[in-house]
Amino acid sequence: MAAPPVIRQLDLELRNIRKRYGSFTAVDDVSLKVEPGQFVCLLGPSGCGKTTTLRCVAGLEEPDQGGILIGGREVTGDPPWKRDIAMMFQDFALFPHMSVARQVGFGLEMLKKPKAEIAKRVAEVLASFEITQLAERRPGQLSGGQKQRVALARAMITEPRILLLDEPIGALDYSLRETVMLELKSLQRRTGISFIWVTHDQNEAFSLGDLVVVMNHAKIEQQGPPQDILSRPRTPFVAGFIQGNNVFHGKAGRAQGGVLEVETPLGAFGVPLLDLATPAPGSPLSFSVRAERLIERPDESVPNRIALRCITVEYFGAFRRHVLEGAGGAVVKYDQFGALPQSIREGEQITLGWAAENGVLHRATPA
Amino acid sequence: MHWKTRSRLTGWVLGTVTIGFLLFQWAPMFTMFTLSFAGETGGTTFPMNGVSLHWYRNLWEADLFDDFKPPMLRSFLLALACSATTVVLSVCAAQAMRGRFRGNGLYFYLLLLGLMAPGILVGFGFAILTRLLGIEGSWNTTAYVVHVSWALPFGFLTMLAVFNRFDPKLEEAALTLGATRVIAFRRITWPIILPGVIGTALFGFSLSYDEYARTLFTAGSDGTLPLAVMAQLDRQLTPELYAIGSVTTAMSLIVIALCSIGFWLRARALRGRPA
Repeated sequence: MAAPPVIRQLDLELRNIRKRYGSFTAVDDVSLKVEPGQFVCLLGPSGCGKTTTLRCVAGLEEPDQGGILIGGREVTGDPPWKRDIAMMFQDFALFPHMSVARQVGFGLEMLKKPKAEIAKRVAEVLASFEITQLAERRPGQLSGGQKQRVALARAMITEPRILLLDEPIGALDYSLRETVMLELKSLQRRTGISFIWVTHDQNEAFSLGDLVVVMNHAKIEQQGPPQDILSRPRTPFVAGFIQGNNVFHGKAGRAQGGVLEVETPLGAFGVPLLDLATPAPGSPLSFSVRAERLIERPDESVPNRIALRCITVEYFGAFRRHVLEGAGGAVVKYDQFGALPQSIREGEQITLGWAAENGVLHRATPA
Repeated sequence: MHWKTRSRLTGWVLGTVTIGFLLFQWAPMFTMFTLSFAGETGGTTFPMNGVSLHWYRNLWEADLFDDFKPPMLRSFLLALACSATTVVLSVCAAQAMRGRFRGNGLYFYLLLLGLMAPGILVGFGFAILTRLLGIEGSWNTTAYVVHVSWALPFGFLTMLAVFNRFDPKLEEAALTLGATRVIAFRRITWPIILPGVIGTALFGFSLSYDEYARTLFTAGSDGTLPLAVMAQLDRQLTPELYAIGSVTTAMSLIVIALCSIGFWLRARALRGRPA
């Protein structure tokens, strides 16, 4: 008889959770599975429900429907102090009346550890976060970066199963963010603790996350590894939210050889169907093409072509972005590798195109 | 000439008005204070006849003051009890408001009703009510209840303001670190709101200590200090009464000064010593 398959316990599972405030739905039917030691980023614009989702995991909000499992254990009705989690808040929420050493030891104190053990462990943690010299200071005497370290040390000292981070570097100076991001990523790798990181900054989400969950209007729009979301946005929202996509709206035409013809105000284009079902002819749909996938002055072999007029050219160093206008005022972005000489002038008329396989068809929006 | 955010003239006008108002506020007390140092033959109005500590000595050597001792003790105990009760009730009431429950607007206005109701009517109405219920009025039962109802709205407003500045994320952080609600309140919330709580306690104390209108009908046969002072005013007015007033005012100022020093020390401790 074959041995039963070893089921790896998930660190976190959200089953169709829903949270309403009066008539406002903050979280709508959100399901998520977090593998042990996974770095998950909840990404979305403000008010999309990502923070509420995180607070439901922490137990600071109770979902109206659905279940939350932490380490395979049902915790939906449990208060925060009974959950194997820790949380880091955007403004760090350091206790103003406690010294750094005292508040870093707070979690252990709550576990009723002996005093000597707490002191020893606090000293270790302060040393590993390189904040030993701050031990006797109060939060009012700390810089932003120091506060961030203290908040992290305070959250990590009990070695929770999951660390919840609500825009953890949003309050830091811009110059500090990259360093802190790298540190946090390596800390997460080292400890194997699952991180759930809420952010509205896609650079954070895509550079840190093993799994990126894009949310909008209380729902999950798409989840997957960063490459998947960047190369294959599944909804027009995701395509528009992540930088560098051109989103085209149109109507389905005939499908032939796995390529769907889409009628748009800018013309008809062939878009690969991939794993999507062939939509009924005439039904509304959308697709996107990455701005750097466009080709200047394409030859006859490129089937998808648009005549445009260049409005502005912006130079970002790594790339040069052209904003172009087509028929009916539709705007198209075209990014060119920054080291290449500028080839399109402002005001110039130009034809751009793209290879059929670079079009990404979106899931049909449920009408 | 370069531009300024506020003109010099505005500064002078506002400054003058402010100082004028403060003088106006303190002048009556200062008059009483001055007259309490009148000579032995001094009266209770200007001009002052001589300068002496006669009336204070008189106070010290009793006779009249003996009449004031029991009401003073009663007032002090009553004010302490009222202060303690006000603190507990206003912290609870303000905590409840943080929860934004259904009908919290109505609850807010009902609590503030105590501020707007005329004192003499509240006192009289309460006296009628207790008589109806067959309860004998006394300073430490009926008057106590009425005093709390008077001090509560002030304490409630103070605590609301305190909680407005309190960051609920601090409590949430404690909860996610394994603290139960009770522990989070004791270890995080309470130490942070403590200055506001002390303010509320002072409010409760001073509002009760000099309450007259509400006490008049509810204190029963054993009166409080304000009642005794009023009774004495009816009988005989001497600068001795002024001396009593000055002494009690000075005591209040000392208490307030001590509290302020305490706050200042605490604020310094929170900022921490410069590293």
